[in-house]
Amino acid sequence: MSVVEHTSHGPAHGAGAPHRRNIFMRPGFVRGAWCFALFFVIGYYLVFGIRTLAGWDPHEDWNIIVLVGGLTLGPIGFLLGIGAFDYWLYWISGRPTIPDDHANHGATKWQDYFKVNTDHKVIGVQYLATTFVFFTLGGLMAMLFRAELAQPGMQFMDTQTYNGLVSMHAALMIFVFIIPAFAGLANFAVPLMLGAPDMAFPRLNALSFWFLPIAGTMFLCSFLAPGGAFATGWTSYAPLASEQPIGQVFFNMGVQWAGASSILTALNFLVTIITMRAPGMTFWRMPLLVWANFTTSLLVVIATPFIAGSQFFVMFDRVMHTSFFVPEGGGYVLGYQHIFWFYSHPAVYIMILPGFGIISEIISVMSRKPIFGYRLMAMSLLGILVLGFSVWAHHMFVAGMADWLRVPMMISTLLIAVPTGVKVFSWLATLWEGRIHLNTPMLFALGFISMFLIGGLSGVYLASVPITIHASDTYFIVAHIHYVLFGGSVLTIFAGIYYWFPKMTGRMYNESLGKLHFWLTFVSFNLTFFPMHWVGLVGMPRRVADYSDRFADLNLIVSISSFALGASVVVFFYNIIVSWARGPIAESNPWRAMTLEWQVTSPPPVFNFDEIPQVVGGPYEYGVPGARHAILAGTPAPSEAAV
Amino acid sequence: MTAHAEAAVHGHDHHGPPIANKSSRIEAVVLGMFMFIGTEAMLFGSFFAAYFFVRVVNPDASTITPEKWAVWPPAPFEFPVFVAGINTCILVTSSFTMHWALQSIKRNNRRGLQAGLVLTILMGTAFLLTQFIEYAHVGFNTSDGAFASVFFGLTGLHGAHVLVGLILLTIAALRAFRGHYSPEHHHGVELPGIYWHFVDVMWIVVYVTVYLL
Repeated sequence: MSVVEHTSHGPAHGAGAPHRRNIFMRPGFVRGAWCFALFFVIGYYLVFGIRTLAGWDPHEDWNIIVLVGGLTLGPIGFLLGIGAFDYWLYWISGRPTIPDDHANHGATKWQDYFKVNTDHKVIGVQYLATTFVFFTLGGLMAMLFRAELAQPGMQFMDTQTYNGLVSMHAALMIFVFIIPAFAGLANFAVPLMLGAPDMAFPRLNALSFWFLPIAGTMFLCSFLAPGGAFATGWTSYAPLASEQPIGQVFFNMGVQWAGASSILTALNFLVTIITMRAPGMTFWRMPLLVWANFTTSLLVVIATPFIAGSQFFVMFDRVMHTSFFVPEGGGYVLGYQHIFWFYSHPAVYIMILPGFGIISEIISVMSRKPIFGYRLMAMSLLGILVLGFSVWAHHMFVAGMADWLRVPMMISTLLIAVPTGVKVFSWLATLWEGRIHLNTPMLFALGFISMFLIGGLSGVYLASVPITIHASDTYFIVAHIHYVLFGGSVLTIFAGIYYWFPKMTGRMYNESLGKLHFWLTFVSFNLTFFPMHWVGLVGMPRRVADYSDRFADLNLIVSISSFALGASVVVFFYNIIVSWARGPIAESNPWRAMTLEWQVTSPPPVFNFDEIPQVVGGPYEYGVPGARHAILAGTPAPSEAAV
Repeated sequence: MTAHAEAAVHGHDHHGPPIANKSSRIEAVVLGMFMFIGTEAMLFGSFFAAYFFVRVVNPDASTITPEKWAVWPPAPFEFPVFVAGINTCILVTSSFTMHWALQSIKRNNRRGLQAGLVLTILMGTAFLLTQFIEYAHVGFNTSDGAFASVFFGLTGLHGAHVLVGLILLTIAALRAFRGHYSPEHHHGVELPGIYWHFVDVMWIVVYVTVYLL
């Protein structure tokens, strides 16, 4: 590598380019906007031209123009405009590429967070900020339809709007909040924990982040489509989905963009973890967050193409009049559900395994004890990975699939409780006789363990075929999924954000507000979702805008609590935003943790390490006299280990 | 050491990233390409799942109209097995020329690299054009039933991959004619090559399951 020259010590964005291009030509949102328009027009004429040449009527079919121009080529134009492809295009055309001046690496001012940036730490924050925008919107939608559900009868929306809101809520929360929020936390933490200067493919990392706002915006834009937002639930079962108004296509394509984003990120994580570990960082010395993201990434890489396939088929059925799921043409309706759940069941582990990793970090650090059963914790992740692919049809017990498939799926589903149980018991054993620090991340971690246990147990109920036959499509399912996804995943996301907040921002959050946030969330969460078990078991169907009078009282409680749950998020936002701007300066290692990200400054230097550290021991040797995890050049021996 | 310690104090002072430790013998880009091929194989897997459902699982396949669905493809229609067979030969040959191109640059034979890439691109284009012409003359359309959905789905997905492969190879060829690549640095040829072999192998699977079985 040649010596990199810099003209000044200021922001380096001009370096490498001899002149500053005007606002329309330089990478940014302005160029993004006109490139979007240009590519949309190209898509329009592509469709129009082909249909005219082939003589298909109508020449100007907006169903297809929206799909090709608006949802495929337009976003590609946007990415081109913001500069996500610039380096590659220079390289492709055989022109000498700009010497790697790291101009798009790291952030010195807040505007840098709105650019294509190759720094994994910046990308991590970009992920989190973006996903929390979608979290807020999805949460507001939930409160809207909870307001509708506060009493029986139809209050202020029609059923299609209700279905649209429910579907949008789920799609936003699953595809552009929970999955990518974990990707954001991992993006920030994993390269640091490995002792790597960045991810293996930084430009790909930036590109896969920018797929995400595209996906979320696409979901939201379906509200503007004639016929309203997609209204078939986040599962979007065929053949219903192929007969819906055009808004459905926004879901189909949004899922493709979100899916591509997570596949590319996962690929990046896998390559980073395999090829860029610091010397001495063997697989059995990796922190469990890294292990968790390793297994999650394997799940993503293997499973996510299946949801891409399922959404392609639905679109083909609509646009090209194929009969993948049309029985009259010889298609197989249940095929959609099989293919969809072959992704979407592993997806629930994609949505929880990174959370397991976060919790393992926090429990060990805050209990000042080595994690109990480190190797078994890693092996149980792999166990969940393997078993996760053998349980998909438990979502279809009442769908009319082959009878013989039920019992094997029930058994494998029950089996998956074993590795999960290993993890829960290991966390409890780690807590046992530890010196527990009950700060905000730890409160969220403990809240997670208890809530996830409830969600996991109702999952064990639902695994058995007779219970599913009784509880299928009732609010019991809604309660179960929210105990595992909110009580599970979202609490771990909050825990992770509080835990790494000082490392990300260099400032400390307000501990009292953090605790207030936890207790508000914990109480209102239980008040919102626990009664749903009850109304579900006595027969209230889910995904229906109206309900029988006898469920009225509990539903009113649920609706009021859901507003309290919404309000608790305001505390979180206030705490995060004010602390980020004006919080007290954080130490480099406020939790006295041993993993590598805490051994550098807060926030970390732009290239993480001056010299790659040497790893000499396990990551969780708290309370073990003289134990070291790593040796960093130029830093004194850490004293944490002796505590 | 002290210089580094000093840099650490200044935190954001400009210096390049430290060279990452190589913790695996396999190179990052090659591993990344294999992972990508893994997900691509799973994408094909979902299309093969659809094939399986339509052809094997579908309970209606033989009950509704047995005379129409019992055979594959259903009675009035035929797949152009022979033309597709010729096409298969073309694609398989192109894998060998691709391999030749890569071996040439490893031995610093630039002419061989260029010729190999051009031949591969020509054969890939020939395959794609034949596929297009086949579509035009095949005698059925996407709306003619599930067998057509599966046929166009699998061959179309594969065709899209051929197109992507051709674009990658064109980029490699462009740079090869500009004098890029050397016996030490030829990832730009190796990676499209791996992808091209994958596309090739995938076609053999598609050809056997859709046309021959």
